[in-house]
Amino acid sequence: MSVGENVCFSLDRLQEIDVLIKKYPGKRSALLPVLHMAQKDFGYLSMPVQQLVADTLDLRLMAVREVVTFYTMFREKPCGTYLLEVCTNAGCMLNGGNELLAHMTESLGIQVGETTPDGMFTVTEVECAGACAGAPVVQINNAYHEKVDAAYIDAFITKVKGDQL
Amino acid sequence: MISSDPKQVKAICFDRIHIENQTSLNIARKNGAYAFLPTVLKDFDTEHIVDEVKKSGLRGRGGAGFPTGLKWSFVPRNTGKPTYLLCNADEGEPGTFKDRDIMRFDPHLLIEGMIMAGFALGVHDAYIYIRGEFLHEVEVVDAAIKEAYAANLLGENILGSDFSMNLTVHRGAGAYICGEETALIESLEGRPGRPRFKPPFPAIEGFYRCPTVVNNVETLATIPAILEFGGDWHAAIGVPNNTGMKIFSVSGHVNKPGNYEVPMGTSLKVLIEEYCGGLQHGTVPKVIIPGGSSTPWLLAEHYDTPLTYDAMMKAGSMLGSGAIIVMDETADVIALTRRLAHFYAHESCGQCSPCREGTGWLERVMTRVENGQGCEEDLTVLHDAATHMAGRTICALADGAAAPILSLLKHFPDEVRERLMEKAA
Amino acid sequence: MTTLFINEEEVTVSSGTSILEACRKQGVDVPYFCYHPELSVAANCRMCLVEVEGWGKPAASCCTPVGEGMRVTTQSKSLSKDREMIMEYLLIHHPLDCPVCDQGGACKLQDYTEEHGAEHGRYKEVKRAVVDHNLGPFVSTCMTRCIHCTRCVRFADEIAGTGDMGVLNRSDHMRIEGVVEDALASELSGNLADICPVGALLDKPSLDVSRPWEVKRHRSICTQCPQGCDIVIESRGDEVIRIKPDYAANEPWICDRGRYVHDAFRAKERILTPFIRDASGVQAVNWDMAVEKIVRLLKGKRVGIVFSPDWSIEGLTAIRLLHDCVFDDAKVAFDLHRRDMRPFAFEEGFGMTSKQIVDANEVVILGSDLRQRLPILMQGLRQRSLAGKPVIRIGAMNYRTNSELSADALIRPREWAAVIARAMQQLKDLGKSAAGMDAWLSSVSERHEAGKLLADALLSDSCALLVGEEIRSHVDAAALIHGLDLIARASGHGEEGRDARNLIPEGMNASLLSAVFGDVRTSVGDLFDAAHDGELDALLLIGSDPLGDGLFSMQAKRAMGKVPLVQIGAVSGQVSEYADVMLPASAYSEVEGTFINMSGEIHLADEPLSTVGDARPLWKVMMRLIQGFGMDIPAVDMNEIRASVQSYLPSLREVWGQGVDHNTWRMPVARQRDANVLPVGVNPAMPLDVISRYSMYREGAWVRASASLVEAGNIRALDDVLVHPNTLKEAGLTVGECVIRTASGNYTFDVGVRDDVVEGVLFISKRGVAGDLSCEVMASLGGGQ
Repeated sequence: MSVGENVCFSLDRLQEIDVLIKKYPGKRSALLPVLHMAQKDFGYLSMPVQQLVADTLDLRLMAVREVVTFYTMFREKPCGTYLLEVCTNAGCMLNGGNELLAHMTESLGIQVGETTPDGMFTVTEVECAGACAGAPVVQINNAYHEKVDAAYIDAFITKVKGDQL
Repeated sequence: MISSDPKQVKAICFDRIHIENQTSLNIARKNGAYAFLPTVLKDFDTEHIVDEVKKSGLRGRGGAGFPTGLKWSFVPRNTGKPTYLLCNADEGEPGTFKDRDIMRFDPHLLIEGMIMAGFALGVHDAYIYIRGEFLHEVEVVDAAIKEAYAANLLGENILGSDFSMNLTVHRGAGAYICGEETALIESLEGRPGRPRFKPPFPAIEGFYRCPTVVNNVETLATIPAILEFGGDWHAAIGVPNNTGMKIFSVSGHVNKPGNYEVPMGTSLKVLIEEYCGGLQHGTVPKVIIPGGSSTPWLLAEHYDTPLTYDAMMKAGSMLGSGAIIVMDETADVIALTRRLAHFYAHESCGQCSPCREGTGWLERVMTRVENGQGCEEDLTVLHDAATHMAGRTICALADGAAAPILSLLKHFPDEVRERLMEKAA
Repeated sequence: MTTLFINEEEVTVSSGTSILEACRKQGVDVPYFCYHPELSVAANCRMCLVEVEGWGKPAASCCTPVGEGMRVTTQSKSLSKDREMIMEYLLIHHPLDCPVCDQGGACKLQDYTEEHGAEHGRYKEVKRAVVDHNLGPFVSTCMTRCIHCTRCVRFADEIAGTGDMGVLNRSDHMRIEGVVEDALASELSGNLADICPVGALLDKPSLDVSRPWEVKRHRSICTQCPQGCDIVIESRGDEVIRIKPDYAANEPWICDRGRYVHDAFRAKERILTPFIRDASGVQAVNWDMAVEKIVRLLKGKRVGIVFSPDWSIEGLTAIRLLHDCVFDDAKVAFDLHRRDMRPFAFEEGFGMTSKQIVDANEVVILGSDLRQRLPILMQGLRQRSLAGKPVIRIGAMNYRTNSELSADALIRPREWAAVIARAMQQLKDLGKSAAGMDAWLSSVSERHEAGKLLADALLSDSCALLVGEEIRSHVDAAALIHGLDLIARASGHGEEGRDARNLIPEGMNASLLSAVFGDVRTSVGDLFDAAHDGELDALLLIGSDPLGDGLFSMQAKRAMGKVPLVQIGAVSGQVSEYADVMLPASAYSEVEGTFINMSGEIHLADEPLSTVGDARPLWKVMMRLIQGFGMDIPAVDMNEIRASVQSYLPSLREVWGQGVDHNTWRMPVARQRDANVLPVGVNPAMPLDVISRYSMYREGAWVRASASLVEAGNIRALDDVLVHPNTLKEAGLTVGECVIRTASGNYTFDVGVRDDVVEGVLFISKRGVAGDLSCEVMASLGGGQ
């Protein structure tokens, strides 16, 4: 049963979830992986999607809400086609992370946490990505890009925009 | 290949790391992966393995430095409940990036270590909890596990033995605190990663309230070498009570940041000068954070300190996970402290009042101080708020949050006061 | 046992006790917010820090177990500073709105700020404001005041079993929230306001009404269900502010029904003075005029008396005295849910205490919506489920319990005999038998597999059968209960000490009722039919509301339309429209008196609220009537009325004397060893069984006079008439208007569906539009009109 919108998992997904559940002593353990799948399938975790996950795993909606709001990688709102996550923690900060972030928001004309009006780019600041030797680190849709500088980002943005045309 | 002569050992965890396509099972096997596993499964018994690990002097590489063999020996036998082995790959301590390299370049070493540990502990189900951001590493390890299953290195009756073990990769979703072992267990149970109070300890009541061992990636990756060459061999590397090799993740103002596996006891200076190509500016570091952002700062005067748990403790800090953040004379230590205060405020799980409210308070005051809007009373506030959250909470995040603040106040009071004056003027 | 030292004093406690509990036991004060004796340990407030000798840092005493020889210090300079700092952390974002906060004056945060806090806070930054949310009619929120102790979340998970409160976000963005549609899905939700240590969750009906220091507290007994919880009523002058659990008693929680009924104590439905009806309408009169009119109406007449079992036992015994002195040939009835008046093998009431039931190896709920009927007992069973012990249910509907059931069998009322026979057969095959079993068994031809659950449970060392309304209201109830008695005895669960037999009573005082009225009682339905058929001349209703409650509203309406009616009670209701005379009696909260609960436990109420208007305690009203009829008054004071009670129940002498421990004293449940009633078998004249559903928010005259409970009832209402979808399909019908054919005629109502009910049963909501159909046993469905 879903609230509002009619969302459901594909049959393949449901099978995948069935296999996944069996790997754990308790069904609830599958919650994080299933939320990752749901976010991949639906873009973000709206309330109907959270209800779907709750129903799929026989959990109460509150149990899902608690997890979704606790972990930073779960999004309750949509983000741009390209999610640019800039680390500004110690290692990156010492190697220009803040300046890189400022350059990105400036050149895209948005604030940290915002999405460009065309829905292409979302820029966020994140905590230590665990790749400090490659500082500053930017994750683009979860792929790591290391020793990133302004030129690299500019080239990326230009390329993506070009591909769009 | 790892030398059987402890004096000649160049690397343990990183021994095969530079070999191309080591992630593929065939290539890994050609280079010695799983070669000793049949012997372990056939000739070793549990007690023997735990004894060897105890003898090796191996201490947990995740940060706390607790003796691994001792941890294993706490697991009760014949409880009627399953025992679980969890690999902590939620590498999130700012400055740490060593486990990532093991997983993405030599996943079979970790898997082999887990099979051996699982065999020693009587485990049937083991899990690797990898931080959510490490999507690539999740995929690499997952692919390696699939290959291992296909080769009967995992699953039922491994290599024809009586031992069966499943191994599953579990992906986190962005929470530093899940690196704390009980928070990791909570997260693996599908809940917010809020640490549990102890006792009961995970060894008695952990994952699904069953006996559970949680070990760091590097710790588990060291097990195959210890079992192959013996505990004594490992104990002969490094210095007494601080044995073996250790991977140090060096970042910040050095010319060649990266992971370096060196014998325990190597000095900070040697590591930074000889391995990391020295500082970006000047010749003496302004601050060295030796064990990840949660450890108290060291100054230039500690440059010669040997990289051991004991020496770091003596110098007033901790070896932690071996994440060394180096700052040269150009560093703005106030800005860095503010940034770390933000980190801890962002990552506090929120359950204990001192940490939930204290980390946010510290960040806000530090922001004012950094912007030159601070006052003398703020220094007392920072000191009180940091001191009284450390050691008063369920887990050690509050201690980690207090460390940079207290270090700044202790080592750079003049610089802080100058900042107050500067903007005030 | 473990011996330790607390502030140099040697203390011995059981091993595994926490330091905090050891301190509490020793009377040593340790401050805390998140700890609660009934909830799991969270250890998050960190207020309960103590020092343990040899430990490098202070320990949270709530989650640290005691150790042999441990030396604990609860007061030191360093701890004072720690506590001061914890208060400072907690007050960072807490608003300084104590003057407008209901919690003020009874607030842990306020008290500890006084005791442990610094003189002023040093936080100068932006404060946090948190959005409030609607948790329904009972709990009000002001989440900016929340200190995140998570007591409410643990309550919702562990006690209510609803899991609808949770912790969202992390760090100092963390907030407590409820995921609710209209209201918290718990019948215990009012306790949330009690357990919140600050003013974040407050009692909504009494919001902004009073300050804690203004109220007077009255220990009393709740009569809203047979559990009879100890309560404390808070009043200010004539106002009733709220009801809380009596924390000095054993049970820490009370249900919303018992708690929020308090607005009815001062509702407009209260009967404040005597009234009489004459040609010009209803008018208030004095007692003399009203009694005079009653004497005129009833003297020398054939009278039917219907009363509520929830009066104090002094009041109930006074009814018997009235009967004996004035109407010794009157018909008397009190159970609005009992159709079958043949003697029950075990009378209403519990052979076990609540604790024994919760601790038993096996518990079987037979045909009861226990969560609504006995919310506090259900709470005990929920704790039992959480601990992994089985709870089995057999019945017509998957009544929600908010906990896991180990087995749940859906059966129709007409299948009960077959269920019991199946169990009996199994016991017989195992060589277990009781006198009369063969005769019973051979009178039932069918066997229903659900009986296996019953027999298996009875084979355990300890077992509790909770026999509910589906059996008690059954047309063949006496036979079914005899059957249950047989299998209980055959399996060794029929004797004191191993007794498994618990028949959930209609109301309070079940053990007294069988002793005092056993020889004169009749069925409510028969009594009303007699009045309608001209066999009675008048009706006397004492606190009973047969139009609002029970199964016989149709008969009651017919009877009351025909003969004069005298109503004595505390609240009016639909019945009052028929009354020729009304006399006001004091509410249960307004009398000194004695009550016996379902387990035979005695509760004394001795701190009554002031009564309203001209109302008097029932026993005095009865005496006044006896006097009016020109008879000698049998009792002039409490002692004399209690002496009369003792003539029926001599054992009560000890209760009113001294030295009886009310926690252990129990009144035994009556047994009828010669009640050999065999099943007659239900003639399946019509395809559907009818069940009248009970709602804790709608049943009872007091509840209907309570605005907040009426609101809750509307939120939680299911369809007035509902069936399983297949039942509708088989009749070729769809959801909506349908004709319901019954013995008494055809009716048209909207019919809804639910798939968690057994097929072949028509569920009627007593207080819904189709409530009068409650009297029916069978029905069939026809097409829409």
